[in-house]
Amino acid sequence: MIATAETIEAPHVDWAGLSPLIAVFLGAIVVLLLGLSRSRSARETAVPLLSIATLAIAIGLSVGRWGERTDLIAGALRLDELTLILTILFCVAGIATVLLSWRHVAPRELAHGEYYALLLSSIAGMIVLVAAQNLVAVFVGLELLSIPLYVLCAAEMRRASSLESGLKYLVIGSVGSATVLYGLAFIYGATGSTDFGRIAEVLAGGDVASDVLLLTGVALTIAGMAFKASVAPFHQWTPDVYEGAPTPITAFMAVATKAAAFGVVLRLFDVALIDAALDWGPALAVLAAITIVVGNVGALGQSSLKRLLAYSSVAQAGYMLAGVVVATRLGLQATIFYIAVYLVMNLAAFAVIVARERETPLGDDISSLNGIGATRPALAWSMTISMLALAGFPATAGFIGKFYLIEAAVAGAYTWLAVFIVVGSMISLAYYLKVIAAIWMQPAEDDGTVVATEPVPLADGGETPLLAGGAEEATSARGQGELVGVAVVFAALTVILGIVPSPLLDVVRDAGAALGLL
Amino acid sequence: MTSLKLFAWLTLLLPLAGCIAVALVGRRLPGRGAGYLATGALAGSFAAAIATLVTLTGREADEQQVVAVAWDYANTVGIDAQLSLLVDPLSVFMILVVSGVSTLIHLYSISYMASDQGYVRFFAYLNFFVFSMLLLVLAGNFLVLIIGWAFVGAASYLLISFWYRRTTATSAGIKAFVINVLGDVGLVLGTFFIFKHVGTLDFLQSFENARETFEPGDGDLTAGCILLLVGAFAKSAQVPLHTWLPDAMEGPTPVSSLIHAATMVTAGVYLIARMHPLFELAPTAADVGAIVGCLTLLIAATIAIAVTDLKRVIAYSTMSQIGYMVMAVSAGAYAAGLFHLMTHAFFKALLFMAAGSVIAAMAGQQNLDKMGGFRKAMPFTFGCMVIGGLALSGVPPFSGFFSKDEILLLIGDRGGWYWILYVAGYAGAFMTGIYTFRMIFRTFFGEPVPEARELEEGHLHHAEVHTNPATGEVEDTEVGFPGAEHHIAEREPTMKIAMGALALLAIVGGVLQIPKVVHVIDDFLDPTFAGSALYHRELGDGLIAFGLVLGAIVGVAGIAVAYLIWVKNPQIAVTVRERLAPLHTLFVNKWYFDELIDALVVRPVRWFGAWSHQTFERIFVNGLLVGGTSGVVRAGSSAVRAAQTGFLRYYALLIVVGIVALAFYFLMSA
Repeated sequence: MIATAETIEAPHVDWAGLSPLIAVFLGAIVVLLLGLSRSRSARETAVPLLSIATLAIAIGLSVGRWGERTDLIAGALRLDELTLILTILFCVAGIATVLLSWRHVAPRELAHGEYYALLLSSIAGMIVLVAAQNLVAVFVGLELLSIPLYVLCAAEMRRASSLESGLKYLVIGSVGSATVLYGLAFIYGATGSTDFGRIAEVLAGGDVASDVLLLTGVALTIAGMAFKASVAPFHQWTPDVYEGAPTPITAFMAVATKAAAFGVVLRLFDVALIDAALDWGPALAVLAAITIVVGNVGALGQSSLKRLLAYSSVAQAGYMLAGVVVATRLGLQATIFYIAVYLVMNLAAFAVIVARERETPLGDDISSLNGIGATRPALAWSMTISMLALAGFPATAGFIGKFYLIEAAVAGAYTWLAVFIVVGSMISLAYYLKVIAAIWMQPAEDDGTVVATEPVPLADGGETPLLAGGAEEATSARGQGELVGVAVVFAALTVILGIVPSPLLDVVRDAGAALGLL
Repeated sequence: MTSLKLFAWLTLLLPLAGCIAVALVGRRLPGRGAGYLATGALAGSFAAAIATLVTLTGREADEQQVVAVAWDYANTVGIDAQLSLLVDPLSVFMILVVSGVSTLIHLYSISYMASDQGYVRFFAYLNFFVFSMLLLVLAGNFLVLIIGWAFVGAASYLLISFWYRRTTATSAGIKAFVINVLGDVGLVLGTFFIFKHVGTLDFLQSFENARETFEPGDGDLTAGCILLLVGAFAKSAQVPLHTWLPDAMEGPTPVSSLIHAATMVTAGVYLIARMHPLFELAPTAADVGAIVGCLTLLIAATIAIAVTDLKRVIAYSTMSQIGYMVMAVSAGAYAAGLFHLMTHAFFKALLFMAAGSVIAAMAGQQNLDKMGGFRKAMPFTFGCMVIGGLALSGVPPFSGFFSKDEILLLIGDRGGWYWILYVAGYAGAFMTGIYTFRMIFRTFFGEPVPEARELEEGHLHHAEVHTNPATGEVEDTEVGFPGAEHHIAEREPTMKIAMGALALLAIVGGVLQIPKVVHVIDDFLDPTFAGSALYHRELGDGLIAFGLVLGAIVGVAGIAVAYLIWVKNPQIAVTVRERLAPLHTLFVNKWYFDELIDALVVRPVRWFGAWSHQTFERIFVNGLLVGGTSGVVRAGSSAVRAAQTGFLRYYALLIVVGIVALAFYFLMSA
């Protein structure tokens, strides 16, 4: 006791609890070193394989920790089912991204090693972020997740739009991070603690809940998190960045970054700020409604699939926010379920887009899907299932996901928000079905003979480079096995989870119980 | 999972696996491979059904109702939607009939459909139908029942419109689908009425709760049961929702045999039997069922005497027989109704198969006026048709005799106004003999038609130009019509095996249940109906003896009349037709049901539609709603895109606006 008074004792570290995170970090280092190898096969084959292995190990370690609920590193991080399920989701998204990047031009530009190391670092940042139960850890995680992504967006450094995308993301992302930091500082100032548990105690204890400092802090934090989750009106970077970034990275951002942002929002608002729920609830609800409208309406006129999915992801963020707004266990479960389902649905769609970018010279234009119902049935069905699921068709996972979100909203006395979700889904059919119509009802383009001589005009009037998104290697259907595989596996999962949702529901129930909400 | 549940799941899932397998690889299989694959899946399903039966009968009587839950679909706020099967004597009885008869009809189709361009598609659909039907009868709760019910309707639509280039076939498919959807709506609404009070979707649980919740004769329960009856009437082609069934004969003959005779159309009978605890609490609804069944059996029998299309005669006969079954299960004669369901499946499938063989020999022609004298040319088909006909007419000792007479005995035993049903039942039985043998005599007796002569000389007639038998339109066999070749039972072993097996069953099926002697069906079904007040009834010996003798006499008398009119002295037919001209017109025009529905429903709706199209839609919907809403959405879309300039400074501006608005809100609320 006497000794501790004089020296700073390092906090106890539960290595076993941290093991998934450590595995990802170690993997990133090994991958980076291996990328320096002279052997081409080591760089092009061993590096991605090692990345997949790393992520698989992290998944295995997470599964092994299932059921534990402990604090790590003096309470900075929290190991519980919420952390673990999100970790597993990040790793699944990571594996899919590695597969989508396999023959892509982006990793080659970054010498493979750097590309995959950055990807793994970003995943590590996400794990830190969703495990954080301390304001400082939140910010560390947020930056660790964002900075590698800035680089990854600009990975195709010979393509102007990729650089533009990276730069835009950097500027806007920095504004977002600064806003969050500002907000977190205010919250600390109002409550005198960075620990989520302490903050909750302070809020429960007194009249701090209506404190101006605290509320300003909450407002700024919401705004900052809304950037990461692309919630309107902070969503503007999304379409531009999604379109310009290499498509595998777009896929990764669409699913994993969103999951991470919602993970931290769930923990921050449903644990630390739960007693101020009456203040932030209505504000978030309004944001959710705006997001649903803006996302769905904005997607209507898009001809670029990546932009379309970007707006769609904005709309989906609005749906997920509804589960946060109600601040109940049901809402928490619904949100986590939807995050998982959203990941599955979107990865199938992005795999198809990547495949068609390589097969046609049309890039990610919607016409690249014309007639693939006849020529590429596996891709066509995957895309169709994915679109129907995103629209919330019955017998797909998207339906169950929306069903639970709506139920949570109604049970949480936000019926009007549920109405927004339903109306939003109705509008969304207009653009999801457009994709399906292109697949099944348009005559096939002559593969390979159509050469786009003019830049594909962008609906937004922005300058578009020729062949956005790695289409310069437009070739035949050769060597697309991993893409078709990803598309088919995730499409199949979408249907299976739509018919047999109970296994995932059981997992989500555990995760929902972790935060101790009612 | 116990072996009982496993077998039940296997029975259900094998046809689904078959459907998927045929759809995916059927095209790559050589020759008739797709047909054998589909038949194999069904045979496996039938074997699993038998295994289920054996396992079930090995249990104690009070353990014979098992709910097999695969998983929860949604189990929250008051809804308990599970994927559950109810394995009990009733559902096992139904899966045995469905999978058994289906296997034989698949076997028959292997040859019958051999030259059709849509061979693979046909078997994929057929397997899907069987899966849906098994899902319907195995359902353990209302939700799964509704899913199976809707799947069956969809499969029926696909198969009726199987020759999709035929306008008559597609419109028949649409008609069937629309009327079936009407039934679906009835079923769903009825379910809601019941669910609202019992608070659970599970069958057994809701029956138990119903006994506590409802007083006998409760208004909501009666309404719910009558809505369930609407579903049953639509599926089982009962008056006035029957008009789709004769039109459904546009489908290939195996489809008529399987769906529109043996299985799907009996779903209504099954539904009423399954819901018997509810119907016993709502006697008014049960009486509605009994009366409608009785009306249907009489009306359909009269029409069957008058129509001249071979398949439609059998279709009306099906309606009439299902009328008996609906009447039986509504009046509490559950085992008798289900017994008749089983024997009917045997002999009616057989009759359709025989009719299919004749139609093939006629190169697609179905008109009785153009048939005749096939007795020598097609002895096997003739034999099968006669066996089926005798069973249908209720001549002892064929199977139909025992099942039909048991229904009438039990109804007669209830006394009161049920005597009217009893008498009507025998009147129907008399007409059954007449129309059945009218059909047989006109097809197989008399002067052989050219097609029959050609066949006697060893050559099967093929039409030079393929035409639609209904309209005479010329058709191209390359795009999915019955191919240029036709297949008759005499030349195809698989058709012969299928028909032979059914003929055997049609002869001996009746021994399962003979009053006072054998009670296999009664005893087997006992656990399902143990709680029923109407189930265990002792019949008086006098009534039994009288009923059996009367039934035999009536059946034979009907055949004798048919013989007299259509073989002995064909002039009588003409005389009778002239004497009773108004009646004949009424029957030939099918009691004007189509016209009645047209005048009462279709035309007013169409008029209203046209009116609203011209006024309401143009001004309100198109102008205000669509124009307004889509205008707003479109304007919003361009606004969002206009804000999406691509310039960071605008984004920054919007961000600042957003942050300020948020901060303002929070400060205001503080």
